[in-house]
Amino acid sequence: MAPAAQQEDLANPVHAPEPPDFDEQIYLRLNPDVLLAVAAGKFGSGLEHYERFGRAEGRPITDLGTLPRGRVVPTAKSRDTAELAEAPVGVLDAIRISPAGGIYVVGWVNDSLDRLDSVDLHFQGWSVCLDAAAMARVRRPDAEPASGNGTPHAYGFWGFLYAAQRLTAGACNVVLRLKSGAELTLSPHAEMAEDQDLRNIALGQLAQAPYLGNAYFAAAAAVDGELGDQLLDFNRMLTRRAVNAPYVERFGPRRENYKASIIVCLYGKPEYLFLQQAMFSRHPAMRDYEFIYVSNSPEMAETLLREARRCALIYGLSVTLVLFSGNAGFGAANNVAAQYAASSRLIIMNPDVFPYDQDWAVKHEAVLEGMPEAQTRLFGVPLYYDDGSLMHAGMYFEADAMPSLTPGRRPETSILRVEHYGKGAPPETARFLRPRPVPAVTGAFISVARDWFEQLDGFTEDYIFGHYEDADLCLKSLEAGCAAWLHDVRLWHLEGKGSIRTPVHEGGSAVNRWLFTKTWGELVCAELLGPVPEHPALRAAAEEALA
Amino acid sequence: MKVLIVSLYHPELVRGGAQQVAYELFEGLQQRADVEPYLLASADHNSPALFKSGARITGFDGRPNEFLFLTQEYDYAWEKGANVLLVEAFKEFLELIRPDVVHFHHFLTFGIDLLTLTRRVLPEVKIVFTAHEFLAICPANGHMVRRTDASLCTRASAVRCHQCLPERLPEHYFMRDMWMRRHLEAVDVFTTPSRFMISHYTNWGLDESKFVHVTNGMRARGVTLPAASKTGARKRFGFFGQMVDAKGLHVLLEAVALLRAGGFTDFTVEINGDNIHFATPKRRAEIEAFLAAEAEFPLAERNVLFNGSYHPEQLRARMARVDWVVVPSVWWEIFCLVISEAWSFGRPVIASNAGGPAERVRDGVDGMLFELGDARALADAMYRACTEDGLWDSLAAGITPPARQEEMVEGFVGVYSARKAA
Repeated sequence: MAPAAQQEDLANPVHAPEPPDFDEQIYLRLNPDVLLAVAAGKFGSGLEHYERFGRAEGRPITDLGTLPRGRVVPTAKSRDTAELAEAPVGVLDAIRISPAGGIYVVGWVNDSLDRLDSVDLHFQGWSVCLDAAAMARVRRPDAEPASGNGTPHAYGFWGFLYAAQRLTAGACNVVLRLKSGAELTLSPHAEMAEDQDLRNIALGQLAQAPYLGNAYFAAAAAVDGELGDQLLDFNRMLTRRAVNAPYVERFGPRRENYKASIIVCLYGKPEYLFLQQAMFSRHPAMRDYEFIYVSNSPEMAETLLREARRCALIYGLSVTLVLFSGNAGFGAANNVAAQYAASSRLIIMNPDVFPYDQDWAVKHEAVLEGMPEAQTRLFGVPLYYDDGSLMHAGMYFEADAMPSLTPGRRPETSILRVEHYGKGAPPETARFLRPRPVPAVTGAFISVARDWFEQLDGFTEDYIFGHYEDADLCLKSLEAGCAAWLHDVRLWHLEGKGSIRTPVHEGGSAVNRWLFTKTWGELVCAELLGPVPEHPALRAAAEEALA
Repeated sequence: MKVLIVSLYHPELVRGGAQQVAYELFEGLQQRADVEPYLLASADHNSPALFKSGARITGFDGRPNEFLFLTQEYDYAWEKGANVLLVEAFKEFLELIRPDVVHFHHFLTFGIDLLTLTRRVLPEVKIVFTAHEFLAICPANGHMVRRTDASLCTRASAVRCHQCLPERLPEHYFMRDMWMRRHLEAVDVFTTPSRFMISHYTNWGLDESKFVHVTNGMRARGVTLPAASKTGARKRFGFFGQMVDAKGLHVLLEAVALLRAGGFTDFTVEINGDNIHFATPKRRAEIEAFLAAEAEFPLAERNVLFNGSYHPEQLRARMARVDWVVVPSVWWEIFCLVISEAWSFGRPVIASNAGGPAERVRDGVDGMLFELGDARALADAMYRACTEDGLWDSLAAGITPPARQEEMVEGFVGVYSARKAA
């Protein structure tokens, strides 16, 4: 029964004579909800209900006579039956509120027939309505046996909203509202969570929740739209906070300027600082280079400071440490670190990258001096796995598409995928090593003119943690008129071993995939798809390379 | 010529072969007019009483030119220290002493990256590194024994090391390999007490021309031991050394069981050693169960006697009780000081046919070799030793006295004095 309608009618009750053909028994038979309400003592009789509500609602009162066999006979208009919907069955597992205004809810509801429309939260002093369309829907194996009707359905939901204002947690009234207007009111207790923790909870949920269908696509579909935007907004706030007033200390010799500034973003694995210093310091040419280590792991600060001091004594290279108070992500960390560079050439390098040839720096300078400026403005290099095979010789794009058969969702989820030329190829495969323009190069090693990097506004800082900023930077460069190049200055890359990776990072990657696809999907699909892209700046070189 | 010897531990604080050799070298150099030796021996949590507040390097017990390097916070994964102050102290010490030669014995406890630091602080210094095992190559205690099947390893690689120590990924061992080589680049001359080690290191990729074989030497003994029992029967075997897995005591005990099973019981085996707590739980349990069972027999029926650990002064008495010394090691035993000790008392050695023992023991001339890890082959050799007339006399007569301390010192002085390769 629609409470709103009741309220309205109570305020202005209808007084009309009993209709001549009113039959109490037939009225109760045709209106089972009224029968229940009368039995529960809410109304003295069916007639009372009819007079107060039924007439205005157009409730059936006439005997249907003998019903035709096997055919449904409507007794009310469809919108009226919607108002009769029962309260849904559901559970609110948790509500977490963060000091900066992050709101996270997770629960499940049986809305397999009547879809969830919104979730209202009412706290002491504030209320908010979360749109179900902006929520992720996931499977809830625990709810399925009780609620399942044989058809697979994602009973679970979770939502995230960044309110950007200080909020309090505590006692909360939650209203789960279905499309029909049916409601379930619950009264859970909401707990506070730190802002970073809340981001991690949401991203962990995104990565780990069981989905109905392929998780890779389902996670991208889940964040498509409002949920993704909210997570990005919240992450931007955390990034700004993390890079605010970093601790900076210089070690070793210091010059006015260097031939290049190697910027290395550290996360979770401090040992790569001394490993890189040991390996790169082998050649005297490295005295012309400076290292800027930027740390997204505040818990490593003491170790990094100690190791940087040890390294200055043992290896004698110039090292700058930039320490953040939180994880600012790869893009923002590199952008901030670039501000401390004392050269006109930036080298973005992963911590697990090491010289393949001792004299790699000499080779790097030879490229800068010997190649046309347009070919060196932004370039990558061949990278090798520890097993000796090629790991990277430029990147190209593919698109994965999956039709969605779930009603009410967009018909297809498309995700851009980044692939590496030559991954796993024999080390001397000439076609991959040949200098050439490529759609993109990996952020494990990017040599870029500092003015060009700044002109491109550096790395886009929207990506969460890391992944896709490198391709994004290369596409920004291509769009601005300069394709990324690959030049044969080889390095080892122990891909993925120089940092830690958890489900939270996988969640970040899922958001990044969606963001990258949203940003670049149109351009990529038009001109940059596949190993031999149509783009005029790339096609000839790619065809030659793969011939 | 100023020579700084940097040693893992001081042998009077923590016993062990590497530090013993380093110290005897130091003592030997002290006798020479042409060398001014210094010793810097590491100390760690094993010697807490010798740590002084705020000190990183101190003297040692009032002895001239002997210093202790008070190390801490060692990182075993990368074989390096973590403490900045220790690096600064070592740098200052080098600048203070300004040696012509820095001779590293091992890198454990103070860190392999101090080799690179030494080169940086003293660009012209001659750096000598004596390898006492294969820790630079093999992260599994430097033994080069496969943990997968206990076979001897001949080649380290990222995947093979990961198979032995699966707790880390192959990339870790790839990096470790690069890290070790990077620091060994600082070395001018490598020395090894056995020649076979050189091939291990050159197979690993180090430059063969940088290697010199300098044997370990022994202090001269004041007394010679009378010949073993004159009854004619040479049926008493001795095991000397640590009771850890690599030393292969379990192979000897298995050989004893095989001999008994074959009905041969007219022999004794005396076990002299300790440190069974460093054995793996499995081997320790095996050995302890064997000894416990043996103790249940009436005294006259026991074949195996456990004498416990011994001080060098007690060695003579222990050697007097045996005719043969068995070296059943199941790893690339490096030099095997026990062989030198056995020979210095005129005892022939029955040893596994790998590593230092295989290089030193001449099968059928001054001892016998058996297939490493093969208890049946050892049992056969022991049976032969007990039963073959004249064998003991023939082999004992074939023994060449082991190299003496002076020969070792002379060998190292030759290394120090040789012109540096360009």
